[in-house]
Amino acid sequence: MSVFYEKFERHAHGEGLKGQSTHYCAGCGHGLAHKYLADAIAELGIQDTTVLVSPVGCSVFAYYYFDTGNTQAAHGRAAAVALGHKMANPEATVISYQGDGDLASIGLAETVAAAQLGAPITVIFINNAIYGMTGGQMAPTTLMGQKTATSPDGRNQFNGMPIKMAELIAQLDGPVYVERVALFSPAERRKAAKAIKKAIQIQKEGRGYAFVEVLAECPTHLKLMPDQSEKWVKENMVPIFPLGVKKDTVGEPWFKLAEPDFDAKHFVKAVGASSDATDRFCKTFATHLNPIDISLKLAGSGGDGAQTAAMLIATAAINEGFDGTHIPAYGPESRGGTSYADVHVAKDEVLNPASPTPDILLAFNAPSLAKFGITVKKGGFILYDSSIAKDVKPMDPSITVVGVPFAEIAAGLGNMVVKNIVALGALQAATGLFPKETFMAAIKQALKDKAKLIPLNEQAFDAGVKAAQEFLAAKKR
Amino acid sequence: MAQVKERPKPFLVSDYCKGCGRCVSVCVKGCIAFADEINPTTGVVPIVLDLEKCTGCGLCIDACPEPYGLRALEAGEEFELQDPAKLFGDKLREVTKPVDIPAEKVALPKTGPLVIKGNYASAIGAILAGCRHVFGYPITPSTEGAELMAKLQPKLGGVFLQAVSEVATVNHMYGTGGAGLPTMTFTSSPGFSLMLEGVSYMIGAEVPGVFVNIMRGGPGLGNIAPEQADVKLACHGLGHGHTHAITLMPSTPQEMLDLTILAFELTFKYRSPVLVMADGYLGQMTGKVQLPDHMIKPGIPSWAVYGDRDHRGNLISSIQLQESDLEVFNRYLQTKYESMKVEARSETFLTDDSEILLVACNTPARAAKGAVQNLRDHGIKAGLFRPITIWPFPVDQLKALLPKTKRLVVVEANAGGQIENELRLALSLAGVEKLPPITSVRRFGGLLPQQTEVVDHVMSICGK
Ligand code: SF4
Ligand code: SF4
Ligand code: SF4
Repeated sequence: MSVFYEKFERHAHGEGLKGQSTHYCAGCGHGLAHKYLADAIAELGIQDTTVLVSPVGCSVFAYYYFDTGNTQAAHGRAAAVALGHKMANPEATVISYQGDGDLASIGLAETVAAAQLGAPITVIFINNAIYGMTGGQMAPTTLMGQKTATSPDGRNQFNGMPIKMAELIAQLDGPVYVERVALFSPAERRKAAKAIKKAIQIQKEGRGYAFVEVLAECPTHLKLMPDQSEKWVKENMVPIFPLGVKKDTVGEPWFKLAEPDFDAKHFVKAVGASSDATDRFCKTFATHLNPIDISLKLAGSGGDGAQTAAMLIATAAINEGFDGTHIPAYGPESRGGTSYADVHVAKDEVLNPASPTPDILLAFNAPSLAKFGITVKKGGFILYDSSIAKDVKPMDPSITVVGVPFAEIAAGLGNMVVKNIVALGALQAATGLFPKETFMAAIKQALKDKAKLIPLNEQAFDAGVKAAQEFLAAKKR
Repeated sequence: MAQVKERPKPFLVSDYCKGCGRCVSVCVKGCIAFADEINPTTGVVPIVLDLEKCTGCGLCIDACPEPYGLRALEAGEEFELQDPAKLFGDKLREVTKPVDIPAEKVALPKTGPLVIKGNYASAIGAILAGCRHVFGYPITPSTEGAELMAKLQPKLGGVFLQAVSEVATVNHMYGTGGAGLPTMTFTSSPGFSLMLEGVSYMIGAEVPGVFVNIMRGGPGLGNIAPEQADVKLACHGLGHGHTHAITLMPSTPQEMLDLTILAFELTFKYRSPVLVMADGYLGQMTGKVQLPDHMIKPGIPSWAVYGDRDHRGNLISSIQLQESDLEVFNRYLQTKYESMKVEARSETFLTDDSEILLVACNTPARAAKGAVQNLRDHGIKAGLFRPITIWPFPVDQLKALLPKTKRLVVVEANAGGQIENELRLALSLAGVEKLPPITSVRRFGGLLPQQTEVVDHVMSICGK
C-alpha cells in the first residue's frame, strides 16, 4: 500500500522510467523524507484529506509523487499557502514541505508567522545546507567554511552564520512540537519517520503546529558519494544543528473553526440592516435651497461633532427617499485641527459628493468660517457658532448668515457633546432642509442602543431651533 | 511457542535503482552489492540482491530514497510475473474523479438602505458573495474594510486573519482560493505592489480571489490621499508573465457593494483574480447602499484542492516545465483573456446628444458628472462616458459614441494619463484611426480633479 501515485504522470508526462522514478539525484535525502511522509499518511489513514504544499527548491515537484491534494507555492510562501488551506477546510491535513532556501531565507517571515500563529499545520523542513535546484549556492544553513558557488572561498562572517531553525521555531510560543532529525543511519532514519508521523498526528488531532527539521544529504552539490555525504552530515552538520526534540508541549486539542454561516437572518443582523420601513416626513424636496442637489459643508475642529452631524444629515436624506452622501475630511487634516465634511442631499442622485461651493456652511469655529465662508454660493446660508465668532458679515448680501451659540447652549444643557445637535436644530430652523421630525428620526436611529440620551438630544435640537428663530426675528427687526 | 512470522525480504526492479548505494552499507548480512555492469536502460550501476542470508530486517528498504526502489516482498508474492507498475500492492483508494458542488442562492428579506462608507459597502458585498475567508494587512486608506471584516466574519462563521504582510496575505488567498472558496483582501497601492508576485501565481495556477485596492498617492510611500495611479499596474503590470485581470472601477458606495459581488462571480467564472479599484476618497465616502435580494452560499468547484476525498486528485500549480506545455498554456490564457472582453462595462450620462465627451472613473467621474450638469446649464452639450471596467476597456461602447463626439476630455487623478493611455490603446487596437482631439484634466499627489476645474477646462476649449 502506498500514498505514492502508481505512475508519476506529472513527471515528464510519466514517460519511460520517469513514471516510476523521482526527479531527485541518486542518494538525495528528499526521497527518504518523501517515503516516511507517505508512510505516515498511509498509517494515519488521512490520504483523502491531505493537502501537500510543495515549495520552490528541489522538492518543487513533490506533487509528482503524492496521491493527495497538491498545491505548489511561490518561493518561501508554502506555510502561508498552507494556512490558507487550513482556514478553508480545518478538516484537511495540510503539510508544508520546504527546503532551507525556501523556509529559512526568502520565506522566513511567513515561516515564523505561521509557527507563532500556532494553527495546526505540519511543516517538514529539509535542511541540506545548500541550494540544490539553482545549482549549489549558499543556503542560510550553509556551514561556516563550507564552499558553495556563492561562497567560493568558504562561508565566512561576511556571509552571516548558519541559521538554526529548529531552535528558533522552538522558542516561539505558537508551536507545540519541534524536532530535528537526520537520515544518515538506520537509527536516525527510524527517528525521522517517527517524528514526521507524530507531527502529522498532532495536526490530525487539532493540537497545534508541529515542525520537523530533517538534516538531509545533497550528494550532488556536496560533490560527495551518497555514503560520504551521509558521513558529512553526521560529522559536520550535527555539531552545528544538534539532533533531538526541541520542544514538546503537545496538549489538548484546541483548534476548531466555526462552520461558515449563510443564514439570512444572521447576515441582516450582523450588518445592521432593518426591514422596518422608515417613516417619511418631507412633503417635498427643499427646492428653495437648490432645485436638485443641495450641497453642505460642515466644518469645525476635532471634537465638534461635525462628522456625526454630517452623517445624520445624509442618513435623514436617505430615510426620506432622497439621495445623500457624506465625505469626511480626509488625510492628515483629520488628525487634530480642522475637521470638515462635505454633505449632499439630492432629489434623485448626488452627482458630485464634494462641496467646493456649498449651498450651506455650518461652521463650528472661526478658522472654518474664514476658510469656507468665501466658498458659499450666492443665495446660500452660513450658520456659525456665535459663542466663538461674533457679528459675522456675509461676503455677499444674498447670503443669509445665522449666528447661534452652539457651545453655550450645549454647555447650558450640561453636555458639550450635543453641540452638533444644537447646530442641526439651527440648520433646520434657518434653512428648512427637512422638517424637525426627519432630523429627530435620524437621531433616534443613531441612538438606538443609547435610548437614554434621546431626551437630551431632543432638548438640544429644540434649543437650536429656538435660537435660530430668535436670531432671524431679531435681524428682521 | 508463538509462531514467528517470516519477515518480508526486499526485492528490486533494477530499472528503478539509481545506484546511490545507500542500501549497501546498512546490510550487515552482506546481501547487497553493486552489479558488475551498467544497466543499459538507466545508465547507472544498480545494486543486486543475494538474499540467501537475508533476515528481512528491512533496513535496506528504509534506506532507499526511491519510492519504487527497494520494497518488501510479502510472503508468497511473486514479483517477476507482475507488471512493474502494479507491483506495489493495492492503492489505498482509487484516485477520485473531482466533483462540482454548486453554489446556492439564499434569499434575503427586503431591507431599507444602509448608509455606509464605500469600504464598508465593499466588505458587505464580499460577505454577500459568500466570502467567509478574508486575509489582510492594514494599510490606509483601506483599513475600514479589514476592520469591518474582523468584526463581522466571526459572527458569520468566517475567518479574518491579519497576515504578517501583504506577501503572506496573497499567499493565504492562494491557499483558500486554491481550496475553491471565495477569498479577498483590502489593500492600498504599496500593499498591492507587494502582492503582485502572488497575483501572477494565482493567474498561472488559475486561482480565484478578489483584491480591493483603495488607491492612494505614490510612488513610494507617497501619501494616504486618493489617486488613480495604479491603473497601469492593473492593466499592464500584474506581476511577471502573461497576466491580466478584470479590473472594476466603482464610483459610488452602492457600486462598491455591487461590483465587489460581481468581482466574486467573475473570479470564479474565469478562475482568475479580479480587482476592484477605488480611490481613497470613495473608500471614505458614505452613501446610500441597497442590499440585493439574495446572498451566495458558495459551493466547491471540481478543480479545487479542498482536502477531501472528492477533490483528492487535484493540483494547484503554475508550473509548466516543458516549453511546449507552457506555450500551450499561455495560448489558452490568451484565449481566456479574449473571452473576458464580454465583461467590459460602462455607464453613460447625457450622451444622447453630447459633443464634448468626458471620460472618467471612480470619484473623478462624480466630479465629471457634476461638471456635465454645469456645462449643460451653460449650453454646452457635454456627456460622460464612465468605464466601469478599465480592463477590459469598454471600447465598443466608447466607439459607438465617437461619431458625434467633437472632443474627448479625460478626467483623472494621476500625472501620466493612465486612463487616457488605456483609452488610446483600446481604440488603437480596435482599429479606430481618426480620433477627436483628446485633452485632459489631471490632478494628482492626493488631489482629485474638481468639478469647477473640469467646467473651466471645457469652457476654455470651447472658447467660452
Ligand atoms: S541537487 Fe541535491 S537536494 Fe537537489 S535533488 Fe540533487 S541531491 Fe537532492
Ligand atoms: S532486509 Fe536486512 S538483511 Fe535483508 S538485504 Fe535488507 S538489510 Fe540485508
Ligand atoms: S538505495 Fe535504492 S536506489 Fe540506492 S542503490 Fe539501493 S536500491 Fe538503488
